[in-house]
Amino acid sequence: MKKIRKGQEMPKYLLLLISLFLIAGCSKHDSDEAPLSLVKPTNPTPSLIHSESRSTDEDMLQSIEEDIEKQKELYDAAIVKNDDTVLVAYKVRHLQRFHMKKIEKDVKGKLEDKYPDVKFIVSSDFKIFLEVVELHEQLKNPQFSAKEAQKKFDKIVKLKKELT
Amino acid sequence: MCAKPKKTPDQEQYDQLEKKYETKRPVLKNCLRAFWVGGLFCLVGQAISYFYIYFFNFTEQTASNPTVATMIFIAMLLTGFGVYDRLGQFAGAGSAVPVTGFGNAVISAAIEHRTEGFVLGVGSNMFKLAGSVLLFGVFSAFVVALIKTILIYMGVI
Repeated sequence: MKKIRKGQEMPKYLLLLISLFLIAGCSKHDSDEAPLSLVKPTNPTPSLIHSESRSTDEDMLQSIEEDIEKQKELYDAAIVKNDDTVLVAYKVRHLQRFHMKKIEKDVKGKLEDKYPDVKFIVSSDFKIFLEVVELHEQLKNPQFSAKEAQKKFDKIVKLKKELT
Repeated sequence: MCAKPKKTPDQEQYDQLEKKYETKRPVLKNCLRAFWVGGLFCLVGQAISYFYIYFFNFTEQTASNPTVATMIFIAMLLTGFGVYDRLGQFAGAGSAVPVTGFGNAVISAAIEHRTEGFVLGVGSNMFKLAGSVLLFGVFSAFVVALIKTILIYMGVI
Protein backbone atom coordinates (compact mmCIF):
# COMPACT_ATOMS: atom_id res chain seq x y z
CA MET A 1 0.00 0.00 0.00
CA LYS A 2 1.27 3.44 -0.86
CA LYS A 3 2.27 5.36 2.23
CA ILE A 4 0.79 8.84 2.58
CA ARG A 5 3.41 11.40 3.32
CA LYS A 6 2.67 13.86 6.09
CA GLY A 7 3.56 16.86 3.96
CA GLN A 8 0.90 15.97 1.39
CA GLU A 9 -1.95 15.57 3.86
CA MET A 10 -1.47 18.64 6.03
CA PRO A 11 -2.85 21.36 3.70
CA LYS A 12 -6.26 19.61 3.56
CA TYR A 13 -6.64 19.66 7.34
CA LEU A 14 -5.38 23.21 7.45
CA LEU A 15 -7.90 24.21 4.78
CA LEU A 16 -10.71 22.65 6.80
CA LEU A 17 -9.57 24.36 10.00
CA ILE A 18 -9.14 27.74 8.31
CA SER A 19 -12.59 27.52 6.71
CA LEU A 20 -14.12 26.65 10.10
CA PHE A 21 -12.45 29.67 11.68
CA LEU A 22 -13.56 31.89 8.78
CA ILE A 23 -17.18 30.77 9.19
CA ALA A 24 -16.88 31.38 12.93
CA GLY A 25 -15.62 34.90 12.22
CA CYS A 26 -18.79 35.76 10.29
CA SER A 27 -20.86 35.80 13.44
CA LYS A 28 -21.49 38.91 15.49
CA HIS A 29 -20.96 38.60 19.23
CA ASP A 30 -20.93 41.90 21.05
CA SER A 31 -21.17 40.64 24.62
CA ASP A 32 -18.41 39.56 27.00
CA GLU A 33 -20.22 37.36 29.53
CA ALA A 34 -22.41 35.30 27.18
CA PRO A 35 -19.68 33.33 25.33
CA LEU A 36 -18.18 32.26 28.67
CA SER A 37 -21.51 31.08 30.09
CA LEU A 38 -20.83 27.57 28.78
CA VAL A 39 -17.94 27.05 31.16
CA LYS A 40 -18.80 29.20 34.19
CA PRO A 41 -21.97 30.23 36.03
CA THR A 42 -23.07 33.77 35.16
CA ASN A 43 -26.15 34.28 37.38
CA PRO A 44 -27.18 37.61 35.84
CA THR A 45 -29.53 39.89 37.78
CA PRO A 46 -33.11 39.48 36.49
CA SER A 47 -34.12 42.16 33.96
CA LEU A 48 -37.32 43.90 32.97
CA ILE A 49 -38.08 44.97 29.42
CA HIS A 50 -41.51 46.54 29.78
CA SER A 51 -43.48 46.74 32.99
CA GLU A 52 -46.59 48.45 34.43
CA SER A 53 -45.27 48.62 37.99
CA ARG A 54 -41.53 48.30 38.12
CA SER A 55 -40.99 47.78 41.86
CA THR A 56 -43.59 44.97 42.19
CA ASP A 57 -42.15 43.20 39.18
CA GLU A 58 -38.59 43.53 40.45
CA ASP A 59 -39.62 41.95 43.75
CA MET A 60 -41.34 39.17 41.89
CA LEU A 61 -38.28 38.46 39.73
CA GLN A 62 -36.08 38.43 42.83
CA SER A 63 -38.39 35.91 44.44
CA ILE A 64 -38.39 33.74 41.29
CA GLU A 65 -34.59 33.78 41.27
CA GLU A 66 -34.52 32.67 44.91
CA ASP A 67 -36.97 29.88 44.14
CA ILE A 68 -34.77 28.65 41.29
CA GLU A 69 -31.64 28.82 43.45
CA LYS A 70 -33.36 26.67 46.09
CA GLN A 71 -33.68 23.80 43.61
CA LYS A 72 -30.56 21.69 44.08
CA GLU A 73 -30.70 20.26 40.53
CA LEU A 74 -30.21 23.75 39.02
CA TYR A 75 -27.20 26.02 39.34
CA ASP A 76 -27.41 29.04 37.06
CA ALA A 77 -30.49 31.05 36.14
CA ALA A 78 -31.19 33.91 33.74
CA ILE A 79 -34.60 35.56 34.09
CA VAL A 80 -36.21 38.28 32.02
CA LYS A 81 -39.75 39.72 32.14
CA ASN A 82 -41.71 41.46 29.44
CA ASP A 83 -45.31 42.59 30.21
CA ASP A 84 -46.94 39.48 31.70
CA THR A 85 -44.49 36.94 30.28
CA VAL A 86 -41.48 35.71 32.26
CA LEU A 87 -38.70 33.84 30.53
CA VAL A 88 -36.72 31.57 32.86
CA ALA A 89 -33.60 29.87 31.48
CA TYR A 90 -31.43 27.75 33.74
CA LYS A 91 -28.67 25.14 33.70
CA VAL A 92 -29.18 21.65 35.09
CA ARG A 93 -26.43 19.84 37.01
CA HIS A 94 -24.75 17.29 34.79
CA LEU A 95 -25.99 14.07 36.42
CA GLN A 96 -29.51 15.48 36.73
CA ARG A 97 -29.74 16.03 32.97
CA PHE A 98 -31.41 12.60 32.70
CA HIS A 99 -34.46 14.12 34.43
CA MET A 100 -34.47 17.36 32.42
CA LYS A 101 -38.08 17.12 31.21
CA LYS A 102 -39.38 16.31 34.69
CA ILE A 103 -37.39 19.21 36.20
CA GLU A 104 -38.78 21.60 33.55
CA LYS A 105 -42.33 20.46 34.31
CA ASP A 106 -41.77 20.81 38.09
CA VAL A 107 -40.24 24.29 37.85
CA LYS A 108 -43.00 25.52 35.53
CA GLY A 109 -45.72 23.99 37.74
CA LYS A 110 -44.31 25.56 40.93
CA LEU A 111 -43.95 29.01 39.35
CA GLU A 112 -47.43 28.92 37.80
CA ASP A 113 -48.94 27.90 41.16
CA LYS A 114 -47.21 30.80 42.89
CA TYR A 115 -48.00 33.43 40.23
CA PRO A 116 -51.22 32.37 38.48
CA ASP A 117 -51.61 35.53 36.32
CA VAL A 118 -48.10 35.38 34.85
CA LYS A 119 -47.22 33.39 31.73
CA PHE A 120 -44.00 31.41 32.24
CA ILE A 121 -41.67 30.17 29.54
CA VAL A 122 -39.21 27.79 31.19
CA SER A 123 -36.23 26.28 29.43
CA SER A 124 -33.09 24.33 30.20
CA ASP A 125 -31.82 24.72 26.63
CA PHE A 126 -28.34 26.25 26.47
CA LYS A 127 -29.17 28.37 23.41
CA ILE A 128 -32.08 30.01 25.24
CA PHE A 129 -29.80 30.61 28.25
CA LEU A 130 -27.14 32.12 26.02
CA GLU A 131 -29.64 34.45 24.33
CA VAL A 132 -31.14 35.58 27.66
CA VAL A 133 -27.66 36.38 29.05
CA GLU A 134 -26.93 38.33 25.86
CA LEU A 135 -30.22 40.22 26.24
CA HIS A 136 -29.28 41.06 29.87
CA GLU A 137 -26.02 42.57 28.70
CA GLN A 138 -27.64 44.47 25.86
CA LEU A 139 -30.22 45.90 28.27
CA LYS A 140 -27.37 47.45 30.29
CA ASN A 141 -26.42 49.46 27.21
CA PRO A 142 -28.39 52.77 27.18
CA GLN A 143 -28.35 52.84 23.34
CA PHE A 144 -30.26 49.57 23.19
CA SER A 145 -33.88 50.57 22.54
CA ALA A 146 -37.01 48.98 24.03
CA LYS A 147 -38.14 48.03 20.53
CA GLU A 148 -34.93 46.09 19.92
CA ALA A 149 -35.29 44.41 23.31
CA GLN A 150 -38.86 43.42 22.48
CA LYS A 151 -37.68 42.01 19.13
CA LYS A 152 -34.94 39.96 20.82
CA PHE A 153 -37.40 38.71 23.46
CA ASP A 154 -39.84 37.56 20.74
CA LYS A 155 -36.96 35.85 18.94
CA ILE A 156 -36.08 33.86 22.08
CA VAL A 157 -39.72 32.84 22.59
CA LYS A 158 -39.86 31.71 18.95
CA LEU A 159 -36.62 29.72 19.40
CA LYS A 160 -38.11 27.93 22.40
CA LYS A 161 -41.11 26.84 20.31
CA GLU A 162 -38.96 25.39 17.51
CA LEU A 163 -38.83 21.61 17.54
CA THR A 164 -36.92 20.59 14.41
CA MET B 1 -33.67 -25.28 15.32
CA CYS B 2 -31.91 -28.60 15.45
CA ALA B 3 -29.18 -29.32 18.01
CA LYS B 4 -25.52 -29.19 16.97
CA PRO B 5 -24.27 -32.61 15.82
CA LYS B 6 -21.69 -34.14 18.16
CA LYS B 7 -18.11 -33.81 16.98
CA THR B 8 -16.11 -36.83 15.95
CA PRO B 9 -12.76 -37.52 17.73
CA ASP B 10 -10.99 -36.33 14.56
CA GLN B 11 -12.86 -33.03 14.60
CA GLU B 12 -12.11 -32.52 18.30
CA GLN B 13 -8.45 -33.18 17.70
CA TYR B 14 -8.50 -30.67 14.84
CA ASP B 15 -10.18 -28.10 17.11
CA GLN B 16 -7.41 -28.48 19.68
CA LEU B 17 -4.79 -28.15 16.98
CA GLU B 18 -6.49 -25.06 15.62
CA LYS B 19 -6.66 -23.47 19.08
CA LYS B 20 -2.91 -24.07 19.46
CA TYR B 21 -2.00 -22.13 16.30
CA GLU B 22 -4.79 -19.56 16.31
CA THR B 23 -3.73 -15.95 16.71
CA LYS B 24 -5.25 -14.57 19.89
CA ARG B 25 -7.54 -11.57 19.35
CA PRO B 26 -6.57 -8.65 21.60
CA VAL B 27 -10.18 -8.09 22.74
CA LEU B 28 -9.42 -5.70 25.59
CA LYS B 29 -7.04 -3.62 23.44
CA ASN B 30 -9.63 -3.46 20.65
CA CYS B 31 -12.33 -2.40 23.12
CA LEU B 32 -10.12 0.34 24.56
CA ARG B 33 -9.21 1.65 21.09
CA ALA B 34 -12.87 1.61 20.02
CA PHE B 35 -13.86 3.39 23.23
CA TRP B 36 -11.31 6.18 22.88
CA VAL B 37 -11.72 6.79 19.15
CA GLY B 38 -15.53 6.56 19.36
CA GLY B 39 -15.42 8.98 22.30
CA LEU B 40 -13.19 11.31 20.32
CA PHE B 41 -15.74 11.38 17.48
CA CYS B 42 -18.44 12.23 20.01
CA LEU B 43 -16.25 15.02 21.40
CA VAL B 44 -15.85 16.48 17.89
CA GLY B 45 -19.63 16.13 17.39
CA GLN B 46 -20.30 17.97 20.66
CA ALA B 47 -17.92 20.76 19.61
CA ILE B 48 -19.71 21.07 16.24
CA SER B 49 -23.05 21.10 18.05
CA TYR B 50 -21.88 24.01 20.27
CA PHE B 51 -20.53 25.73 17.16
CA TYR B 52 -24.05 25.68 15.67
CA ILE B 53 -25.60 26.82 18.96
CA TYR B 54 -23.15 29.72 19.39
CA PHE B 55 -22.97 31.05 15.87
CA PHE B 56 -26.33 30.12 14.32
CA ASN B 57 -29.93 30.09 15.49
CA PHE B 58 -30.02 26.48 16.62
CA THR B 59 -31.13 25.31 20.05
CA GLU B 60 -29.72 22.23 21.80
CA GLN B 61 -32.70 20.34 20.42
CA THR B 62 -32.45 21.52 16.81
CA ALA B 63 -28.62 21.60 16.56
CA SER B 64 -28.48 17.80 16.33
CA ASN B 65 -29.64 17.76 12.69
CA PRO B 66 -26.88 19.95 11.19
CA THR B 67 -24.35 18.32 13.54
CA VAL B 68 -25.12 14.84 12.22
CA ALA B 69 -25.00 16.14 8.63
CA THR B 70 -21.61 17.80 9.25
CA MET B 71 -20.15 14.71 10.92
CA ILE B 72 -21.25 12.53 7.98
CA PHE B 73 -19.83 15.06 5.53
CA ILE B 74 -16.45 15.14 7.32
CA ALA B 75 -16.37 11.31 7.39
CA MET B 76 -17.11 11.28 3.65
CA LEU B 77 -14.23 13.69 2.97
CA LEU B 78 -11.86 11.65 5.17
CA THR B 79 -12.89 8.46 3.36
CA GLY B 80 -12.12 10.13 0.04
CA PHE B 81 -8.68 11.21 1.30
CA GLY B 82 -8.01 7.65 2.50
CA VAL B 83 -7.70 8.64 6.16
CA TYR B 84 -10.87 7.00 7.45
CA ASP B 85 -9.76 3.53 6.26
CA ARG B 86 -6.65 3.75 8.43
CA LEU B 87 -8.71 5.01 11.33
CA GLY B 88 -11.09 2.08 10.80
CA GLN B 89 -8.20 -0.38 10.90
CA PHE B 90 -6.99 1.14 14.14
CA ALA B 91 -10.29 1.73 15.97
CA GLY B 92 -12.61 -0.95 14.53
CA ALA B 93 -16.11 -0.54 15.94
CA GLY B 94 -15.12 2.86 17.36
CA SER B 95 -15.15 4.27 13.83
CA ALA B 96 -17.92 2.08 12.38
CA VAL B 97 -20.65 2.43 15.01
CA PRO B 98 -20.97 6.26 15.22
CA VAL B 99 -22.91 8.04 12.47
CA THR B 100 -19.60 8.74 10.69
CA GLY B 101 -19.49 5.02 9.81
CA PHE B 102 -22.55 5.62 7.65
CA GLY B 103 -20.74 8.25 5.57
CA ASN B 104 -17.77 5.93 5.24
CA ALA B 105 -20.01 3.06 4.06
CA VAL B 106 -21.61 5.25 1.36
CA ILE B 107 -18.40 6.73 -0.03
CA SER B 108 -16.27 3.58 0.15
CA ALA B 109 -18.91 1.70 -1.87
CA ALA B 110 -19.02 4.57 -4.38
CA ILE B 111 -15.22 4.56 -4.76
CA GLU B 112 -15.14 0.79 -5.08
CA HIS B 113 -17.64 0.71 -7.94
CA ARG B 114 -16.43 3.88 -9.71
CA THR B 115 -14.79 1.83 -12.47
CA GLU B 116 -18.17 0.34 -13.46
CA GLY B 117 -19.50 3.75 -14.50
CA PHE B 118 -21.62 6.41 -12.87
CA VAL B 119 -25.08 4.89 -13.32
CA LEU B 120 -24.56 1.13 -13.04
CA GLY B 121 -21.46 1.46 -10.85
CA VAL B 122 -21.67 4.40 -8.43
CA GLY B 123 -25.45 4.94 -8.64
CA SER B 124 -26.56 1.38 -8.12
CA ASN B 125 -23.91 0.34 -5.61
CA MET B 126 -23.52 3.47 -3.45
CA PHE B 127 -26.14 2.34 -0.93
CA LYS B 128 -25.17 -1.32 -0.98
CA LEU B 129 -24.13 -1.17 2.67
CA ALA B 130 -25.86 1.99 3.84
CA GLY B 131 -29.14 1.00 2.20
CA SER B 132 -29.97 -1.41 5.02
CA VAL B 133 -29.26 1.36 7.57
CA LEU B 134 -31.70 3.64 5.74
CA LEU B 135 -34.35 0.96 5.29
CA PHE B 136 -34.37 -0.30 8.88
CA GLY B 137 -33.88 3.23 10.25
CA VAL B 138 -36.93 4.56 8.39
CA PHE B 139 -38.97 1.46 9.19
CA SER B 140 -38.14 1.46 12.92
CA ALA B 141 -38.85 5.23 13.08
CA PHE B 142 -42.25 4.54 11.48
CA VAL B 143 -43.04 1.78 14.00
CA VAL B 144 -41.95 3.89 17.00
CA ALA B 145 -43.97 6.89 15.74
CA LEU B 146 -47.00 4.65 15.23
CA ILE B 147 -46.74 3.27 18.79
CA LYS B 148 -46.31 6.80 20.18
CA THR B 149 -49.31 8.10 18.22
CA ILE B 150 -51.47 5.23 19.49
CA LEU B 151 -50.30 5.80 23.10
CA ILE B 152 -51.01 9.56 22.84
CA TYR B 153 -54.42 8.82 21.29
CA MET B 154 -55.21 6.42 24.17
CA GLY B 155 -54.07 9.04 26.69
CA VAL B 156 -51.26 6.93 28.20
CA ILE B 157 -48.57 9.55 27.54
